[in-house]
Amino acid sequence: MLTYLLFALVVGSVYALLAQSLMLSWGLAGLVNLGLAGFFAVGAYASAMLVAWGHAPVLLGPLAAMAAAGVAGLVVCFSTLRLRDDYLAIVTLGFAEVVRLVASNEVWLTGGTDGISGIPGFLRRESGMAFHLGTLALALLAVAAVYLLQRRLLRSPWGRALRSVREDETVAAVAGKNVVRFKAQAFALAAAIAGLAGALYGHYTSYVAPDQFQPLITIYIFLAVTAGGNARPAGAVVGAYLLVGFLEATRFAAEWLPELSALQRASLREMLVGLGLVVVLSLRPDGLLPERSQKAPSR
Amino acid sequence: MPEDVLQGWLQALLNGVVSGSLLALPALGFSAIFAVLRFPNFAVGALATAGAYAAWVVNARLGLPVGAGVAAAFLVAALVGVLLEAAALERLGRGGALMKAIGSLAMAMVLENALRFAFGNDLQAFDLPLARDMLLGPVRIGPQQINNFLVAIAVMAALWAFLALTPLGRSMRAVADNPDLARLKGVNPRRIALITVAAGAGLCGVGGTLIGLDTAIDPLLGGRVLLSVFAAAVLGGLGSIPGAVAGAFVIGIAEEFTVLALSPSYRMAVGFVVILAVLTVRPAGLLGSRAA
Amino acid sequence: MTDVSRRHLLGGTVLAAGVLALPGLVRAQQDGPIKLGTLTPLTGSGGSYGPGMAEVVKKAAAEINQAGGVLGRPLSIISEDDQTNPEAGLRAARKLIDIDGVSAIIGTWASSVTTAVAPVCWQAGVLLATVSGADSITRLPHNGFIIRTQPNTSLQGRKFGEFALEVGAKTVAFMSPQTPFTDAQFAELTKVVTAAGGKTTSLIYDDKKTTFRTEVDQVLRGRPDAIVMGGYTTDTAVLIRDLYRANYRGKLLGFAYAVNRQLVEALPADVSEGIYTLSPSAAEGSGGYGRVAKLLGVDAPDTYACQVYDHLNLIALAMAAGGGATGAIVRDHLRKVAQGGGQPVNNAAEGLRMLAAGGKVDYDGASGPCDFTEIGDITDARFRYEQVQGGKITLLKIA
Repeated sequence: MLTYLLFALVVGSVYALLAQSLMLSWGLAGLVNLGLAGFFAVGAYASAMLVAWGHAPVLLGPLAAMAAAGVAGLVVCFSTLRLRDDYLAIVTLGFAEVVRLVASNEVWLTGGTDGISGIPGFLRRESGMAFHLGTLALALLAVAAVYLLQRRLLRSPWGRALRSVREDETVAAVAGKNVVRFKAQAFALAAAIAGLAGALYGHYTSYVAPDQFQPLITIYIFLAVTAGGNARPAGAVVGAYLLVGFLEATRFAAEWLPELSALQRASLREMLVGLGLVVVLSLRPDGLLPERSQKAPSR
Repeated sequence: MPEDVLQGWLQALLNGVVSGSLLALPALGFSAIFAVLRFPNFAVGALATAGAYAAWVVNARLGLPVGAGVAAAFLVAALVGVLLEAAALERLGRGGALMKAIGSLAMAMVLENALRFAFGNDLQAFDLPLARDMLLGPVRIGPQQINNFLVAIAVMAALWAFLALTPLGRSMRAVADNPDLARLKGVNPRRIALITVAAGAGLCGVGGTLIGLDTAIDPLLGGRVLLSVFAAAVLGGLGSIPGAVAGAFVIGIAEEFTVLALSPSYRMAVGFVVILAVLTVRPAGLLGSRAA
Repeated sequence: MTDVSRRHLLGGTVLAAGVLALPGLVRAQQDGPIKLGTLTPLTGSGGSYGPGMAEVVKKAAAEINQAGGVLGRPLSIISEDDQTNPEAGLRAARKLIDIDGVSAIIGTWASSVTTAVAPVCWQAGVLLATVSGADSITRLPHNGFIIRTQPNTSLQGRKFGEFALEVGAKTVAFMSPQTPFTDAQFAELTKVVTAAGGKTTSLIYDDKKTTFRTEVDQVLRGRPDAIVMGGYTTDTAVLIRDLYRANYRGKLLGFAYAVNRQLVEALPADVSEGIYTLSPSAAEGSGGYGRVAKLLGVDAPDTYACQVYDHLNLIALAMAAGGGATGAIVRDHLRKVAQGGGQPVNNAAEGLRMLAAGGKVDYDGASGPCDFTEIGDITDARFRYEQVQGGKITLLKIA
């Protein structure tokens, strides 16, 4: 029971990092990133390869993950700079699928569909409960660090500039903001955070494989961020933990209907997840924690 | 160039045209909905699946001809599309186009699983014989492919006539071009929006049926082609009707040539490289005009 | 952090924890039912297999319960969906282990899901019985907590090669989506065929495509006289249609899990006519296969259905032999009921009676003799060679 709770909290923390990544690129910079799963994958693979195959110290893994995902973010951002929102959404969705294709097919590089197993944990896995507790502590630390960073950024001139870019690119450009630079920075940083989530996930579960990075996870994170409030770091974090709670709770809801076949219960469960999102979106269009109006700082 | 290589290319071109015609209908539906409602409706894949199941029920369970199935696919998908819009997506509009897009992702999940709940995951097939291909000079093609192609072309032509020649079609184009102006002229935008969703979803339903006729039906049918459909619509220019058709053929052909020139497993990647290349030169797509 | 947001944050976490904690209150007791989990793909790309697998285990468990259960306790089966996704599968496995307290998990299908949940199982002392094919799975450091009834890929590749030669093929093409065993299978196939003076080619396709016309053209240009199909039901159905349209008249060989009843029913009879299939099998006359057919009310049960049926029976027998219901007891006694001489038996109810009477059993299942190596692979399998004839899957031989 306790292990399950700790496990769900670690997974929730991974989701919380992903949610913050999405919040930064979407909520703040207004860049719709449907390629979240792709950056998650790049981070997970970078860290797993370095540590499991390269025998580097475990703590180097997350750094490599952030660097690799950040670079991938820059590449995607610069190749999509001129695209409108809706185009960007679809192109990034394609990016995530391409990452998965490469991971599945380039066996020499990634191990193919077999994935990479036996990735060392941050702590010794044999230590049982201590392993879960320790990893959770690290995960919470990462979530808190990213959260504080985001809040700082949000209040900094950089964050204000970013929001002005989101609200109206032309006005921001006229006001002398380098729109491209702001967007690229936000996107790369967001990608790096998703990469960190990937590293955390890989080292916790000891395994990465292409199948883990299906578009479903991106949908889940959108669910989390919109439920929590898409322009506040706290909203994203709360939304992510709530989402994992909700996903797991639907399992038990499905068990109340024993007369249905396993297949029907599984499909009901996924319907619940989808309906849940729509209900939250229509009841709280700004999420549980809406964006506070940003007043000009008083002097 | 050796003759068999040339023949291979010709055949791939033909195969691409055929698979492009299958992509064209859902891409059209997606683009039409985008043109009027201004949001990417991610439920088009699930709507295509719903249409295919409707056609299958009519054909395989009720024993009616495939033509009746295609009509049923259009009607059922249209109805489901309107229901999703009126019951769920419309009220998300307050939060902006993206909220609706995300809502449509969620509704796609709901719809796919509702179909799974009702029909299970087993493969289902139409009650239809399968014919061997005919040779047309150096290339081969099957009667089913020709049929599908003709149906797709006929539906596209009907859509074009509807948009160009009927008052309703003209109002739709007016709303797509400028909703405020259309309202001033006495067009009810909500009514137009719902009619557009019905038509767009119906097209997806027919598209799904054609794919089902060519292969078999299962709850993931629409989901499998979703990315190619998006690619086609984006390539042509979101919201552009002729663009969606052109995009579908380009993507269809590009995917088949991937098999010859690169590795078959990378067809999806090639679609996206094509998009990136085109959008870099023309940010609004091949035939899109409304660059923001 | 402001007070408001901290309250929200705390409230949210507590709420989530509360939701998670609730079901823990109804935990299994020592003398309650014995809990076992199935973890099969009910949604996602493996969805055509998982529901049937979950169904067989439920039915087989009901049969055992009717005969008095195991150690006087009924079996209770909890079915979870792995969504054909290792991330979701892992969450489901944790729930089965930590909340339901299952002592074994049956039926993981995708190799990636099996590899993801395996560490959780061996750390918690839960037995994992899988049908996944990737060779790497049994090489994991699992301390005996994994058993697999699916023959490993080199064996299957070899059998396909030998069978292709047997039906008179000289040029064999292999068409498959990218799976963890694609390469190994093709290598084995090639070894066998080239040793006999034939040659092989391979093509890896994207299984999400709705047509394989160009792929088929590509392969047919090499004029193969037999094509081995390495995919699953959905993509194989499309591939077979496109091969038929392309006027291919050579031999077609496929895995029985792909060319199954579902697929044959989804194709016109003249299209599926003559396709050969292979699946692991018990020796002729062992009767397990017939039992699954009867249990499900079908002529030709899926090989996965047979395999999970065997998983459940083996686990039940091992529990009875070891006198306890934990995963470790199952691990320690599984080979004692699966192999090593004893009265041959093909179902749990009968075996449980023999064990209760102090006898020794040797389980011969529906999918094979079910004898396991140290690392959990089967030591030996015969194969069912079947052919689709007139829209029916017809047994040719067991060898």
